[in-house]
Amino acid sequence: MSTPICLRCLRRSLFPPISSRAAKLAATRAAFSTTPSRSANPPKKQSTTAKRDTSKTKSLRLSKNKRVVTGRPPAPGERKALRKRVVLSNSNALEVAGLEDFTAENVRRATLLRQLEGRVVGFGDATVNVLRALEGFKPTQGWGLFRRPASLVRAETVELGEMMQTLKGEKSMLSLLLAGERGSGKSVLQLQAMAVAYLQGWIIVHIPEAKDITIGHTAFQPVKTTDGQTIYIQPQYTAELLDKIAQANRGILSDLRLSRQHQLPIPIQSNISLARLVELGANDPQLAWPIWQALWAELTAPSQPDKQGLHRPPVLVSADGVDHIMRNSAYIDVETKPIHSHELAIVRDFTALLAGKTALPNGGMVLAAISKSTAANSPTFAAAHGHPRQFARASRDRRPKLPEWNPYDSLDQRVAEVMENVEVKNVDGLSKQEARSVMEYYARSGMMRGTITEGLVSEKWTLAGGGLVGELEKGAVRARF
Amino acid sequence: MELRQIVRRAITVRHNPAKRRVLQQCRFYATPTDSGSTAGAGAGASGQQGDIQAAAPITFTTNSDQFAAPRAELVQDRSRPRRTRRPDHAGGRDDHDQDLLLRRVRIVPASPSYFTATPEYMDNLLELSSLLRAHQTLPMLPPGQAPRVAWKTIDQYKTELAEPVRVKGYGMLIKLLRRLNHIHPSLMPAEVTEALEKYKRHSQPYMNAPKPIEVNEYGVSAAVGRRKSSSAKAYLVEGTGECMINGKRLSEYFGRLHDRESAVWALKSTQRLDKYNVWALAKGGGTTGQAEAITLAVAKALLAHEPDLKPALRRAGCVTRDPRRVERKKPGHLKARKMPTWVKR
Repeated sequence: MSTPICLRCLRRSLFPPISSRAAKLAATRAAFSTTPSRSANPPKKQSTTAKRDTSKTKSLRLSKNKRVVTGRPPAPGERKALRKRVVLSNSNALEVAGLEDFTAENVRRATLLRQLEGRVVGFGDATVNVLRALEGFKPTQGWGLFRRPASLVRAETVELGEMMQTLKGEKSMLSLLLAGERGSGKSVLQLQAMAVAYLQGWIIVHIPEAKDITIGHTAFQPVKTTDGQTIYIQPQYTAELLDKIAQANRGILSDLRLSRQHQLPIPIQSNISLARLVELGANDPQLAWPIWQALWAELTAPSQPDKQGLHRPPVLVSADGVDHIMRNSAYIDVETKPIHSHELAIVRDFTALLAGKTALPNGGMVLAAISKSTAANSPTFAAAHGHPRQFARASRDRRPKLPEWNPYDSLDQRVAEVMENVEVKNVDGLSKQEARSVMEYYARSGMMRGTITEGLVSEKWTLAGGGLVGELEKGAVRARF
Repeated sequence: MELRQIVRRAITVRHNPAKRRVLQQCRFYATPTDSGSTAGAGAGASGQQGDIQAAAPITFTTNSDQFAAPRAELVQDRSRPRRTRRPDHAGGRDDHDQDLLLRRVRIVPASPSYFTATPEYMDNLLELSSLLRAHQTLPMLPPGQAPRVAWKTIDQYKTELAEPVRVKGYGMLIKLLRRLNHIHPSLMPAEVTEALEKYKRHSQPYMNAPKPIEVNEYGVSAAVGRRKSSSAKAYLVEGTGECMINGKRLSEYFGRLHDRESAVWALKSTQRLDKYNVWALAKGGGTTGQAEAITLAVAKALLAHEPDLKPALRRAGCVTRDPRRVERKKPGHLKARKMPTWVKR
């Protein structure tokens, strides 16, 4: 039941509260929308206003001024669905002979992984399903140009894979922020890390677009924490996230069971599998937040490998476009003050992991990536990943003394605290050998004509801004002259 | 008859002389006619002339420099000081002759061109042609190889002389100057050099030779290029094909692939893309202008490293500066060329 006063902006709604009949309709609609619920089907105008004396109008009547409606207008959400559609295969592209896959074997052994360096390696079907469930593939990444998803194993990928092997063995934790130019392959590196993690038997939690959490497109509600702080939970978003976790990690989570009792609004069996628990949360947004908390309590519980279902694998937590959660969100509180992103419950949990406040006792990695195509303005965060060492020193003194610090920008203390101990990994362009390898893959897929010569490689490499892989693809495969 | 003439005269005196109608046409006859003597009407005695005689023969001199003498000469009045010094000398008769002579002689212009419309110009022309005549046997430089000289413009020359020199006439002068300028420099007479100096512009733009672009001790060559309203400075050093523009990557600075290609076109068209690193600063104008300004700058900097590439670069269109700019808007037009829509009334 909606109130005549908009709770978000405390303004009177333009439309009277919807009737009970409309309330039934509302149940079928999206759970939360920033637009008034009736604007989709605006009430018809009165006939008196609609009828106008056209004989006295002085406007110029031309045929081009009339808007001609041809065909059916797209249904609500249709355009967005088209925009967000991920195509992973192109039946016109050639099958690349001898394309290896990431397998559990070559991912678990360092020597085998190192052998793959500089080669384009495909993702197996199971991996693709997991990555798809996690929304790791993005529509802009050009997967639809080739026969099946494959990516270049670059030096950073091998480094990351080895790091993950070490973390798993030592049961330690690492926070890593991937920074770099637009099109340098940050998101694909994250995707590769997810693939490696899946094949090594990790649990993967991935936030595909951090922007979606903070731009105010999902419902939120305040919750008091045990230490008296107000945080804001997002039931719908949490349920969706749980759904992704359930789909992606079903194999592992169904082997694990609850290790202890949790305070949940509904009674559940004490030995329920974690997969079932997550599904419960995914199906009911009202349960999503308590179940999210229960899930994290289970995942961060110490592993008991000798007991059936109580071993706990390492966890990979990743988020893309984190610069959007390093600033104020689009939500406002009851005093109409902007809510900082770190006050949103999911972001709070993620940043606690990123800053190392929440430990992952069974080993794990927090992998955040910045976004350059939709970069949000967050000066503190920009300084933190632009000059990580100086920033760490400066933020400890609580005085930003950075070479490029604008004195009119205030330091965001929350962000500074989180970023203090985060390791920043700068993802740069490919080397020329890597560029050659990837261009040979393009040629063998039949997506690039001509022979791959040294001159061509160096030309494309320069035009791609020093081997930025996204630009390389744009220049070599997508460009049509 | 007489009365009528008197009346007519009276009327004509009243009239504006400029508008006076010509009545007595006989006054303007060049040769005496019989009419005055035969009429005998009254004015007969004054109109009579003697027999027609042949004019004195004109003597032509073969001296072609007869007019090239200095134009103005100050005639020394020698009589007076002589008289004061030697009042009772036997030369009293000479003095008297001189006085008579001076009384008789009118003031004669020193220049024979005095009565032309453009005397100074004529003098200049005659002086130059006499110079040429004097030195025309000297060896000449082959055409087009004489040192380039910016001669005074016709406007400058006219203002200096304050004479209405015509374009054709000035052309003749310039032709003479050019011919004199073509005398071999090792044999150039001093008087010619001196004479030419008078016709040269004060500032000689052809003397400003551009400084050659050189590779400095760090192996970097720097050059400036321009296009539309953009200008760019490119630093070129041997390397692996990296390119930074205003501190950004090529792909970051130019979103358009076409612009990226045109920025490094000089290197790409000569297959040098993986041999050099470019570091460029571009300012002004839009993206296309900046990209093409960088093309020119890179090409010039590349020529410092490898001068033999000039023909290849010229074929690639990287040597010549494109002089086109935005065409100005004109009054009465909506844009440079666009006219407002024609409306009846």
